[in-house]
Amino acid sequence: MKVLVPVKRVIDYNVKPRVRPDGTGVDLANVKMSMNPFDEIAVEEAIRLKEKGVASEIVVVSIGVKQAQETLRTAMAMGADRAVLVVASEDAGTDIEPLAVAKILAAVAKEEQPGLILTGKQAIDNDMNATGQMLAALLGWPQATFASEITVEGGKAKVTREVDGGLQTIEVTLPAIVTADLRLNEPRYASLPNIMKAKKKPLVEKTAADYGVDVSPRLTVVKTAEPAGRKAGVRVGSVDELVAKLKEAGAI
Amino acid sequence: MYLTETQEQVRDMTRAFADEVIRPAAEALDRDERFPSEIYDQMAELGLFGIGVPEELGGPGFDTLTYAVVMEELARGYASVADQCGLLELISTLLVRHGTEAQRKMLPEVLAMKRKVAYCITEPEAGTDVSGIRTTAVRDGDGWVLNGGKIWIHNAPVADTGFVLARTDKEAGNRGMSIFIVDLHAAGVERGPKEHKMGQRASQVGALNFTDVRLGADALLGEQNRGFHMMMSVLDKGRVGIASLAVGIGQAGLEAALEYAGTRKQFGKAIAEFQGVQWLLADMAKDIEAARLLVHSAATKIDRGQDATKACSMAKCFAGDMAVARTADAVQVFGGSGYIRGFEVERLYRDAKITQIYEGTNQIQRMIIARELLKKGARG
Repeated sequence: MKVLVPVKRVIDYNVKPRVRPDGTGVDLANVKMSMNPFDEIAVEEAIRLKEKGVASEIVVVSIGVKQAQETLRTAMAMGADRAVLVVASEDAGTDIEPLAVAKILAAVAKEEQPGLILTGKQAIDNDMNATGQMLAALLGWPQATFASEITVEGGKAKVTREVDGGLQTIEVTLPAIVTADLRLNEPRYASLPNIMKAKKKPLVEKTAADYGVDVSPRLTVVKTAEPAGRKAGVRVGSVDELVAKLKEAGAI
Repeated sequence: MYLTETQEQVRDMTRAFADEVIRPAAEALDRDERFPSEIYDQMAELGLFGIGVPEELGGPGFDTLTYAVVMEELARGYASVADQCGLLELISTLLVRHGTEAQRKMLPEVLAMKRKVAYCITEPEAGTDVSGIRTTAVRDGDGWVLNGGKIWIHNAPVADTGFVLARTDKEAGNRGMSIFIVDLHAAGVERGPKEHKMGQRASQVGALNFTDVRLGADALLGEQNRGFHMMMSVLDKGRVGIASLAVGIGQAGLEAALEYAGTRKQFGKAIAEFQGVQWLLADMAKDIEAARLLVHSAATKIDRGQDATKACSMAKCFAGDMAVARTADAVQVFGGSGYIRGFEVERLYRDAKITQIYEGTNQIQRMIIARELLKKGARG
């Protein structure tokens, strides 16, 4: 079974994001970029499926700027077999919206015919949490989102989902789309020999136009603002004073 | 930056590993003087030992600059762990360059830390001046008999195999030494107690004594009587390694000091707002960066096959002095807290000191720099 893993290049989770002075978005100039952590979990899960003998080939795909090839190399250093880069923008600050991404991924899926598409539940930059679901709709495939456990057997995937009330286990018929939640696994580090080997693994470069997908935005960003800073606290002298202050604030 | 995409990838992976696995363990390892096998097992799996070993011999085959980058990141986590990487880099380089096919067969075991190694050069009467070694290997049939003693040997308390420099010709000076691969579990090998050191305390260091240790013909590494030259041939890389290690210690100190200065309040504001503290931070940052650039320039010279002797000595000397001076600044930024066990900067200051001493003292490095200057001129 072939597994397709879409990965996104996002601002590194350790970086403190700054808003552009004109409020149009987050400033990405000279900022460290990395693989979306949820996508990293998806890559790890695909590798584990391959190690178990369930998956035979792992193809990673990224849509965005040319530099996303670094992200794909990282995925290949972890253990993916080959990569498809779809260049859809020249400016890292332009976000390709979930619907456009899903349309391109649907086209890639038709080309690649994977038995399973595994990706992160959302990207940590815009937190849309939409691409996986839209892709499932476009392909007409079943979906299992927020996965914390996946077992593949006999043309079906049993997926444990992290839902509000606890854990829900569902079964989907393959091919299907599964999106990874935080607790699915802990991704491995890429080893030095594998980083070296990844340099020789095939990476095909395409454009959004190759798939006939219009990536122009449908949403307008009205304003981007940093969250307000925390106000300074006050030190209380006694429990009575604390209770009084809480009452004053309407908290109790 | 001038690093390639692959080098950046290696750096980022090593940094993440150091942040998540090494750095959190450093305080306890220092306190308990413990050999961290569990960290070394993980490093072996990630290919962080024998970075320069070619792919056909089971290594990743990276260049010296990549090795420098890895050493800095590991040392930023904990210097003792980086020093193990440095030791294995030297031993594996010697095996790759001079080992017979049969001797190289031990490489996978060595790089997996299944067979721990020690590099045995120093003796009571032979520190900086290696020509003073008294350990001898005397011909006996087609093999050898080894007698003598080594001190301050990294890994001596735990090692399985020693790479031992011994005299094989009493009259021939530097042309009369050879390197032998010695089973340290063999009869006649005696281990001294573990030394209790000022810093890098997870590195196990001690003495080894050899009394009539029988060696087979296959124990000789490379050519007989060429041991000194073989040792010298890996010295440049060794210096790049220790210089990088010093940069890593300095970087860890800067990061800790910067964070503390931003949160510690005196006179109603963060101490980072005082110019006196700002100047300490600025001096730390500029000297660390200068040391890093010297190291990377020296590593690049090695990779290009250029004469790197002076560059490596300059990098090692500058980086070692920098690490001691700038971790002292980090302690200064922390004030009284920085003098207390358990604060990272207190350990960093202790860990830094040895970088002025091992892999050739900084006095020797200055002698080498001056010798090269006098021989080749100011631009040579």
